[in-house]
Amino acid sequence: MQVVNKICQHSFAGFYKALCYLVLILLPQHTVFASESQSNAAAMWENIEMRGTKQSVYFHAWGGDQQINNYIQWVAQQVKQQYDIDLHHVKLTDTSEAVSRVLAEKSASNHRNGQVDLVWINGANFASMAKHKLLALDWANKLPNFALTNPDNNPAMTRDFGVPTEGMEAPWGQAALTFYYDSLKVDQPPQTLTELLSWTQQHPGRFTYPKPPEFLGMSFLKYALIILNEDQPDNIKEKLYQPATAESQAEILPVLWQFLDQLHPNLWRQGHHFVSNGLALRRLSGDGELHVSFTFSAAEIPSAIARYDLPDSTRSYRMLDGSLSNIHFVAIPYNSPHLDSAKLVANFLLSPKAQAKKQQTSVWGDSSVLDLSQLSEAQHAYFDTTEKQHLSASIINIDNTRLLSELHPSWSTIITAQWLARYGVQ
Amino acid sequence: MIIANTFFTRTVRTSPAIIIALLVVPVLGGLLGVVLPAFGWFPALGATEFGLFGFEALFATPGIERMLLLSYSTSLISTLLAFLITTLILASYFNSPWLKRIQRLLGPILVIPHAAAAIAIGFLIAPSGFISRLFSPWLTGWDTPPDWLFPHDPFGLSIILGLALKELPFLLLIALGVLAQPEIGSVLKQQHKVASSLGYCPMTGFFKVILPSLYGYMRLPILAVLAYSSASVEIPLILGPNTPPTLAVAIMQWFSDVDLSLRIKASSGAIVQILVTLSLLLTWWGIELLIKKCSAAWLTNGEREHGGMLIKRFTNVVTFIMISTIFLALLGMVFWSFAGFWSYPNILPDQFMTMHWQSALTQMQTPLFNTLVIAFSSTVLAIILTLLALESEQQSNKTISAVSGLIIYLPLLIPSIAFLFGLVWMFEQVNSQHTYLNVVFAHLLFVLPYVFLSLANSYRRLDPRFSSVAASLGAPPSKIFWKLKLPLLISPILIASALGLAISFSQYLPTLLAGAGRINTITTEAVTLANGASRRTSAVYALMQMLLPALFFILAWLTPKIFSRARV
Repeated sequence: MQVVNKICQHSFAGFYKALCYLVLILLPQHTVFASESQSNAAAMWENIEMRGTKQSVYFHAWGGDQQINNYIQWVAQQVKQQYDIDLHHVKLTDTSEAVSRVLAEKSASNHRNGQVDLVWINGANFASMAKHKLLALDWANKLPNFALTNPDNNPAMTRDFGVPTEGMEAPWGQAALTFYYDSLKVDQPPQTLTELLSWTQQHPGRFTYPKPPEFLGMSFLKYALIILNEDQPDNIKEKLYQPATAESQAEILPVLWQFLDQLHPNLWRQGHHFVSNGLALRRLSGDGELHVSFTFSAAEIPSAIARYDLPDSTRSYRMLDGSLSNIHFVAIPYNSPHLDSAKLVANFLLSPKAQAKKQQTSVWGDSSVLDLSQLSEAQHAYFDTTEKQHLSASIINIDNTRLLSELHPSWSTIITAQWLARYGVQ
Repeated sequence: MIIANTFFTRTVRTSPAIIIALLVVPVLGGLLGVVLPAFGWFPALGATEFGLFGFEALFATPGIERMLLLSYSTSLISTLLAFLITTLILASYFNSPWLKRIQRLLGPILVIPHAAAAIAIGFLIAPSGFISRLFSPWLTGWDTPPDWLFPHDPFGLSIILGLALKELPFLLLIALGVLAQPEIGSVLKQQHKVASSLGYCPMTGFFKVILPSLYGYMRLPILAVLAYSSASVEIPLILGPNTPPTLAVAIMQWFSDVDLSLRIKASSGAIVQILVTLSLLLTWWGIELLIKKCSAAWLTNGEREHGGMLIKRFTNVVTFIMISTIFLALLGMVFWSFAGFWSYPNILPDQFMTMHWQSALTQMQTPLFNTLVIAFSSTVLAIILTLLALESEQQSNKTISAVSGLIIYLPLLIPSIAFLFGLVWMFEQVNSQHTYLNVVFAHLLFVLPYVFLSLANSYRRLDPRFSSVAASLGAPPSKIFWKLKLPLLISPILIASALGLAISFSQYLPTLLAGAGRINTITTEAVTLANGASRRTSAVYALMQMLLPALFFILAWLTPKIFSRARV
């Protein structure tokens, strides 16, 4: 009933409301409820499509990678054709800029006319926005294309770093930690965390990670934390996926600090300076200062080689002891003035056409979140492309290693604070 | 002088008040927007009780004393260094044609935005940078880049190098500007000649006769440089250490941190930043007093010669190193922008190609358009306001008061990081949704002071007899302004416009914050890319950042020449 109400209240409210009630009363009850959810969803979506066209959508997304920016340009052309929506890519250097903006708007009581319509987000930024109630609720699960991710059998689609998304964000893509090295300078790259430690002892100054709380640096620390706690009993390991407590910190963290104490003297700049992000890692690799490095978007490696930012001899691989993996999402702030248009864009991002395009190495190479078994044959066809690939595009070990899940976001805050206290001042 | 009461004169009369309001309201409002959260008042986070917990959190930050020390020392040392080299250059080449040549070589550096300069210097001193390539492997034996100190060294030497190289041309040009004013410059030159004829070596003559008078005119610009460098973000961000960074960089990071409660700490940090800047200004003043006291006897002791040749040789070396550093940095950047893969330790890239320029130029259209629209709007506004205010000065027959003069410097003296965040909060309060206008307004805060400083001298120096004659022939003030003063002043107005454009082109923080990140300019893109992956693309953007202001300075310089030729 509430759904019916919701549909009706917008256009010609009075008349349609009466009509809806009339239909509800006239039709036999069981048929109404059997088909209600489907037809209502469809009707609701039609309504959204009707209201959402011919508007602007300000998509706040990290803008540091040209390939991704070009892909968003392509999306903009598509939604322009399909819905007459003007999609503007607001290029962020850090997603937290969008979070701060929405917060500032809320503090200025701007509840209807926010600047952010859609934001590319996950992890701690999402947790923070959800905590401060800065996001529109309960919409992502109602996108028509959301069903294609098979959320019932794929819990990762509705959990962001362990936090339930509750329809506040729609999945967009997934990534896993991938290492790369220059095959001319390194014969045997380290393939486990332990090997990495001994490799840095033999080759001091040729490996580093970005300074936390930067996302990629944090991911490396989380990967290390999971591997170092591998031998602990299950009930302790589980605590990595729950809110951190003083007790669980004492059980889990000491091994990490021991490991880092050993690792840091042999890092680039003896661990006195840490780079600010993953792109800096790539630049240093291109300069030859680093010999082994890592990234979350494996597809950037062949494209960086094509732009001469990395040597042609670069190869990529996954660590044999596991690879940290996560899903990234798009969310709509609670005060977006173009809510419906933003939903249309989010739905398009989830469409097989858009997801297949995104997965092509030459475009972006970000893995699709769709469950291919849910697709029709025509939709499946989008994914059947054969591309000519650079050697670095085929990731060594991709099939014989496991994916490690993200930790509960509370760990990031704690690791960052303790890391800064231990290593932040040198 | 009795002035007619026309629309023109009324507009002219209100203009100083408008300028003052335009500068004071946003700066003070912005400060308020930072002071409130600094003392714990931040309703959006549910913090509505005043307290000092922001400051407690700030001083509990690991390495806070290092941050403060780094901010303090890098700006003080770089400014001292820049000032010292400026005086050495002036003293050594005072009556030599080399002064003009050095000015021509260094002048263009002035218009290079800080971000671009930092990127260029970073390319130069990095382990895989140009210097290391020049000496490898034949001298150093390195075939892979060494793991050495620069950039990002913990002592901030890279920051000092970057800041000093950027400040020096500014101070030099200020000094030369003062010396170019007939009533000051020619007098000082005469005095220098007298000193020479009394047997003073030219170097000693400069220090004993010229510097004491010259310094008075340079003091305010020096203080502005000091204040700016203590709170600047771009150079420490690109060249500085991050364990820990300088205070200003840390503040910026806290402001944009995911953890929103850090905003309170960041606001407290902004207050402390103001104190750091103040204490720097006080330190400078202290140094001034000290030098004055110590040198009083020396100035009049009659000693004619103080190793002038030695100092001159030293200055030659310093100047040579400095100019070749700048040249190499630029050269390295041009190479990177055309480079294919560039393996270490080759001095030249393995291949040259135009690919990076092509792809960057196609992506650059919107940012370029934004850059130009914003720069032109803010500069035109600034020029109009400045001309009106200067005209009102002449009509009321007195220069603006010392307080107003200081207010014009306000946005340059108060660390921008301290009031910009509050300014954004103010835009929010008045619900200003027009991001373009917000950005133009924020740029105006920084463009206006420079335009005013650049125009004021020429305007005040304009011979008043022209106006008197025109007025006695019955011309109303508006006609005198339009038909007489503006055409006479076209050259300085164009130069001031070019300066205004250059200042606007280089703004990073104001564009980012006031524009809500929605407005990309060449500079915001360049800073984003500087921390990014591709040296090649960021070289293209940094070069673009340099070419734009250079282009407009050349235009400003050429236009009057072409016009005057046409008139003949």
